[in-house]
Amino acid sequence: MLNPNSQVPIYIQIAEWIENEILAERLVADDKVYSQYQLAEMFNINPATAGKGLTILLEQDILYKKRGLGMFVAEQAKDNIITARRTHTLNALVEELVAEARRLSVPDEELIGLIEKVQKG
Amino acid sequence: MIHVKQLEKKFRKKNVLTNLSFAVEEPKIIALIGRNGVGKSTLLKLLAGHLKPTKGQLEVVGEKPFNSLKVASNTILIQEEIAFPQYFTLVDILQQGKQFYPNWQQELAEKLLAYADIPLKSHHSKLSTGQRAVFNLVYGLATRCAVTLLDEPMNGMDEAIRSDFYRAILKEYIAYPRCIIISSHYLAEINHLVEDILLIDKGAITLYAPIHEVQEMAVKLRGNKAVIDSMEIDEAILYRYTEDQFCEVVVFPERLEQVTGVEVLPVSASEVCKYMTDRKGGIDDVFK
Repeated sequence: MLNPNSQVPIYIQIAEWIENEILAERLVADDKVYSQYQLAEMFNINPATAGKGLTILLEQDILYKKRGLGMFVAEQAKDNIITARRTHTLNALVEELVAEARRLSVPDEELIGLIEKVQKG
Repeated sequence: MIHVKQLEKKFRKKNVLTNLSFAVEEPKIIALIGRNGVGKSTLLKLLAGHLKPTKGQLEVVGEKPFNSLKVASNTILIQEEIAFPQYFTLVDILQQGKQFYPNWQQELAEKLLAYADIPLKSHHSKLSTGQRAVFNLVYGLATRCAVTLLDEPMNGMDEAIRSDFYRAILKEYIAYPRCIIISSHYLAEINHLVEDILLIDKGAITLYAPIHEVQEMAVKLRGNKAVIDSMEIDEAILYRYTEDQFCEVVVFPERLEQVTGVEVLPVSASEVCKYMTDRKGGIDDVFK
């Protein structure tokens, strides 16, 4: 769900939500994506804001446009999202994690141990 | 749809609007923001043709609004003091709307009023403040006017009904796109709903931009006072707060060279509007 109080702009949250739908394979290559008006109703936001979220994905070749028909999921969408998020999102999260660990003087071995513990569930 | 150029409005000798220009070319929802008494309501009345400009150009749906029948039937202004005939029931008022407005939605009006538990047999003058606000807004939406002007439409409504009717505005807008200008003291409450922000101050437009741009217009820097002072950004500072070694400033990011050693935080659209229209520093200065 969207968080209107988040520091992340709503249109970026919309783009991320669609990306998550693609990652979860609820939307696959050549599927028609929700229109900006559907997204506006679903998330209770201005259609222009929803449209801006779609435009970002269009510019990153995650979606493509068919004139008069709407937007569709691109062939390589899922792979592209994974690559982009690995380089950007994951990096940023790790930087944050390491910064917090330094603030708390957590030794490296302990931090790695913590990650392994979470990985194993 | 709306063209305003160097608009001026004086009341007796008091200048309310001095040099106001903006244009709206396509359907969109715009938030009209400004401090109390800066002329938001005056602007809306001018657009609706309820007042005559002192000077400047003003065109709505292609005509000067004052005394224009075309503007009157394509424009609706909803405000608290809207004048409906005192002895009319809501049925009569809706009937009048149906006769005057070409796109009138009778069924929509009846359904929304039923949803809000407002009986159609009531007299407008007997409604509670909250009910009257609901009725007025429903009336405004039912006209489906190309230019729909809502002056503080939620005043007096309780919180639950507010969010319902913000959604009603959105759904009606999606079903039938039109130019909707909403004035409000609570930008944070209508953030999600609007596309553009129109900020007025000192009789003119201070800012007219898409809301996402306003949200990215300023940043807050938080950190050590000596570090922030060393950045030499004095002239760019919109707001500054210090307490011992703690310092917080709000600045336009394009004037920043580089940021190291300080926290960078986003500034919401309503905060940007506040800082851009601050009079004498901030409230803290009063307590110095």
